[in-house]
Amino acid sequence: MQGRRDRPAASFFHRLPLVAAVLSIQNLVKVYPSGTRAIDDVTLDIQHGEFVVLIGLSGSGKSSLLRCINRLVEPTSGRVIFEGADITRARGGELRRIRRRIGMIFQQFNLVRRTSVLSNTLAGRLGYRSALRTIIGRPSREDVAAAFENLGRVGIADKAFARADALSGGQQQRVGIARALMQHPELMLADEPVASLDPATSHSVMKYLEEINKKDGITVICSLHFLSLARRYGTRVIALKAGKIAFDGQPDDIDERRFKEIYGEDAVEVEIGPGRSTESMSAAEAAALALAQDSTTAAAKLGLPDR
Amino acid sequence: MAEYFSARGLPVPRELERNPLTDWRRLSVIAAAILVFYIGLRITNPDFSRANPEYAANVIGQLLHWDLRILTPQNEFETFWDTAEGLMVATIFLGIVATGFSILVALPLSFLGARNIMSGHPVTAAIYIFVRFFFTVIRSIDVLIVVIIFGVLIGIGTAAGVVGLAFHNVGVLGKLYSEAIEGIDAGPLEAITATGANRFQVIWTAVLPQIVNPYISFTIYRLDANVRLAPILGYVGGGGIGVLLFQSIQLLQYGAAGLIIFMIVVTVAAMDFASAQIRKRLV
Repeated sequence: MQGRRDRPAASFFHRLPLVAAVLSIQNLVKVYPSGTRAIDDVTLDIQHGEFVVLIGLSGSGKSSLLRCINRLVEPTSGRVIFEGADITRARGGELRRIRRRIGMIFQQFNLVRRTSVLSNTLAGRLGYRSALRTIIGRPSREDVAAAFENLGRVGIADKAFARADALSGGQQQRVGIARALMQHPELMLADEPVASLDPATSHSVMKYLEEINKKDGITVICSLHFLSLARRYGTRVIALKAGKIAFDGQPDDIDERRFKEIYGEDAVEVEIGPGRSTESMSAAEAAALALAQDSTTAAAKLGLPDR
Repeated sequence: MAEYFSARGLPVPRELERNPLTDWRRLSVIAAAILVFYIGLRITNPDFSRANPEYAANVIGQLLHWDLRILTPQNEFETFWDTAEGLMVATIFLGIVATGFSILVALPLSFLGARNIMSGHPVTAAIYIFVRFFFTVIRSIDVLIVVIIFGVLIGIGTAAGVVGLAFHNVGVLGKLYSEAIEGIDAGPLEAITATGANRFQVIWTAVLPQIVNPYISFTIYRLDANVRLAPILGYVGGGGIGVLLFQSIQLLQYGAAGLIIFMIVVTVAAMDFASAQIRKRLV
């Protein structure tokens, strides 16, 4: 709780129940059958319209935390309250009705690779459709129109009839965003959405997330490896370390010392200019990036001179 | 070579330590294999003394001197379906029908036998274990034994052949199908679950598109195997052309037997070629 001690004002604001939080996580614990305490007593409130970036080493609990929010992973104890509804107590249909209001995108995009981009996008409406209609019905006119609109928003309407696995990584992630938008979500979870993409593509995907956050007012919780992306896009940064919150505050408050606290003393920071793919890096940069990506204790930092 | 490592204070790799020609471990394995073979030969004690080259040559001559009468109806009571080619056609369809029945049972069961679908709840996990155990048990009984048993239970004939073959194949196809489901990419399942879809919608949307190709491939493979197996089933009461072959040999009609064997060889070769072609186009 380093951030809380050093920044009482900010943390006081976050803990004040003046505005009803979109998401309230209370004493959340996740222990896997192997005995790993992935999340160790996490309590936090997320306000409407925030762009929260989760940072931390691999294995610090970012993915588990995101998955406990929509119960893809079953929490061991604690509560998750979304818009006043207790997700952790929800069962069956009630849980599915909550899930459909929470969009999610993934590091590996998780598209159904053998089917078309359009089918993948339409899958975002499944929570609003009966099982019977999924099998015998055709997608409704409104759903198809919405699918094309959302694909258009992420700039790939022309790929609607292509097979999902024919698309590049960045395009597949944009289909993932379109699929999530089909749910009309109030909250968007993004689990390492750019970790499989090159730096140029990463920015394009992050900009779409920023747009749905700013224009549609969708609250975003996004886990990231690159601190510079966190600074550039986040309105709030939460760092996890061994399942506990190690920092919670403004992106600009993460200085060298905090960085070391979060990522460990061996942490390496790597500077890469904006909008450049790995091909155009210098050899030294590429080597540093490769080193940073290989090592679990190293965190790469994408430096972004503001232009 | 070993000196290179020892001179530098390095451990000598095991490959360099031993001479493969004198290594006692290798030699003892080879000696054990020869011993087992020798003991087996003494126990089985195959008696070749009754073999009569002259008689064998005579039978081979008869086998090649095909009796073409089995290709046409021989009296007013026989129809096309009593001729060898009629029985051959019926036998091929016996294999196809048996495959069809086994698909009907194995397809739904395979979802219950896939760990990634059934884990997550103690009851479904128990069903998974039971279904996979069921597949293993019925697969482990050889198809000829299954047909013999069904011949006793429901009477000798094509019914026993179809049911016996289908029963055995439920175990084989069920296992192959279940493993195809277990081999799918779990990512889409997670993503579709996250949209608020129910379990059935998840299977329909995220699982089915991923298993269509392996299912078709496995089904053609088993269809091929079943059509190969079908001609033998007549020997154990399963009906089809095997009955005619069995009778011809019992009645010393080697001309007829030779022709039937030739027809089976041609059918199996054609099936082999056809299934290879179909599977090649598919993948």
